[in-house]
Amino acid sequence: MSPRALAGPEIQRILALVPWIVAHPASPKPEIAARFGITVEQLDDDLALVLMIGVPPYSPGDYLDVEDDEDGNVTIRLAEYFRRPLRLTPAEGLALLAAGRALLAVPGSDPDGPLATALAKLEDALELPGLVVDVGEPGQLAAIRDAVAHRRRVEIAYWSAGRDELTTRRIDPEVVFFATGEWYVGAYCHRARDERMFRVDRIRSVEPTGEHFEPGATGFETGDVYTPRADDTRVTLELGPAAAWVAEAYPTEAVTERADGSLEIVLAVSERGWLERLLLRLGPDARAVAPPDLEALAADAARRILRRYGGADGADRPARARPDARARGRA
Amino acid sequence: MPDAPSRVERVLNLLALLLDTRRALTREEIVHDVAGYPAQITAYRRAFERDKETLRGMGVPLTTEPIGDGSELGYRVRPDDYYLPDLGLDAEEAAALRVAVSAVSLGSHAGEGALLKLGGLADEAVAPIASLPIAPALATLFEAFRTRAVVRFTHRDRLRTVEPWGLTSKRGHWYLVGFDRDRDALRAFRADRIEGDVELGEPDAFETPPDFRPDDHVESRAWLLGDDPAVTVRVRVDMDHLDTMLSELGTDAVVEDDDGDDRSAVVEVAVTNPAAFRTFVLGFLEHAEVLEPPAMRADVVTWLERVAAGAPGAS
Repeated sequence: MSPRALAGPEIQRILALVPWIVAHPASPKPEIAARFGITVEQLDDDLALVLMIGVPPYSPGDYLDVEDDEDGNVTIRLAEYFRRPLRLTPAEGLALLAAGRALLAVPGSDPDGPLATALAKLEDALELPGLVVDVGEPGQLAAIRDAVAHRRRVEIAYWSAGRDELTTRRIDPEVVFFATGEWYVGAYCHRARDERMFRVDRIRSVEPTGEHFEPGATGFETGDVYTPRADDTRVTLELGPAAAWVAEAYPTEAVTERADGSLEIVLAVSERGWLERLLLRLGPDARAVAPPDLEALAADAARRILRRYGGADGADRPARARPDARARGRA
Repeated sequence: MPDAPSRVERVLNLLALLLDTRRALTREEIVHDVAGYPAQITAYRRAFERDKETLRGMGVPLTTEPIGDGSELGYRVRPDDYYLPDLGLDAEEAAALRVAVSAVSLGSHAGEGALLKLGGLADEAVAPIASLPIAPALATLFEAFRTRAVVRFTHRDRLRTVEPWGLTSKRGHWYLVGFDRDRDALRAFRADRIEGDVELGEPDAFETPPDFRPDDHVESRAWLLGDDPAVTVRVRVDMDHLDTMLSELGTDAVVEDDDGDDRSAVVEVAVTNPAAFRTFVLGFLEHAEVLEPPAMRADVVTWLERVAAGAPGAS
């Protein structure tokens, strides 16, 4: 184990806490503890350590002085060398800037507000270069965020890619967030009578119902885009080397590598349409081997699409025989 | 003092000494002054090495310099390099940064570490609004970008030597945009596809063009990530799916004024990677159909015929 892992966080906290207390004499202990994410007991331990810090020749006046008054307010003196916190590491500077730029990129943020001026000061003082963060803005995002903020029950027209159908649903939108490059809304869906996650870019319209809802105890978390459910179908896929990325890209429940380098994986699948798309995309590099009723899923989907191209037999004929169908010049 | 000093206490006293000193100190001077080092020579040397590693791991600018006649090394921490400059944030600005760190998940605790140095964490929990995980390589790339140092790394099995001109996040991925010296061209690299460590060159090794916008050079649409000459592909899409298709194709796509048929529309888009475009169009199942060019249409049909015939699986 690295020594950093043992002592690092405690040292870093003390190095941040001392300058703050120096700059804010007689601050109440509970406030200090809350700021630094610790309990008052931990703060007392930290302060006991601070009393032991000094420089040569280590006479009484060379140690940091911690004064703890009868009201529980703390003052630190004689901490000349710890008067400022340690500069930010590259990772810390990046994290601060990235979080700030991301939040500022969320539609509706004030481009001239305190966050914007804070980031400008940060970049200026620390000579940090600018970061550009784009989180997109699907058409119905503003309406959905408004519904979340005011706890409005709304009716949405939603294209479910998984089932490939456009449905109208009443939802109680609880949370909205950006993850894996898309905006999602987590909501109680009255049609499904359960919580569901919807992709905001697939919401075609948002209509008010005039009703409000009480927030439920939801389990949505940012990044929690798909959580396998107990009743999802477990599908076994054979993946050739060109399709091996699937095992990394989706939460698989089992992966077996075979001698020839191919993989057999088990995936929890809630929507057949999703699996259809995946298998169509992978083509000859993948095959569903279980359960039996899904073995022909991809082939059936391919035949369905081929019909649009002019025949299930694959004959390439113009799909529409209209004279202006822009398929001129082909048989 | 009844108890032996703890390791934390020893490291804090070491740092206090190194910050307070006016000249570089030898290891022997240091272990003599700071309480808590073992008396035995190999033991105190090992302990001192560990403590140095701890301090440097936290970002403490611990420097070494030759002292005396140059035969000995001395250690010190220059306060100007150690101290965080005053950012001059007002209360509202500090609060806004705290909210940003709570609301945006980056998959690390670095943001909280920064907030501690700026005077504390968020007063109350904020609902997370965005998740943009930061790949481990990104902090090094950021430092290289900041100091204008050339970087070397492996990306998709190839060694790259790049002048980092910008970092940007698009569609949920972080990209390094820069000048690829070997290829003599501007390139964008997805940070999470960088394998292994990033090697940093000397600072101030290049100039970034003024007004450079990294996001102008990131292409997240896979069908434009090919080396083939661009072809214009025409796709007929059912009206119910037109909005979805257009939102993914971006502003370059053109909807043709069709023949008044309101059940479908024809969309034109430039493609340089036909295989990626096939994947895209198959995502619309039977609601979209490639019309032209004939080679692209034939490619989709051939692909579907192979799937329809029953893929042989891993062969």
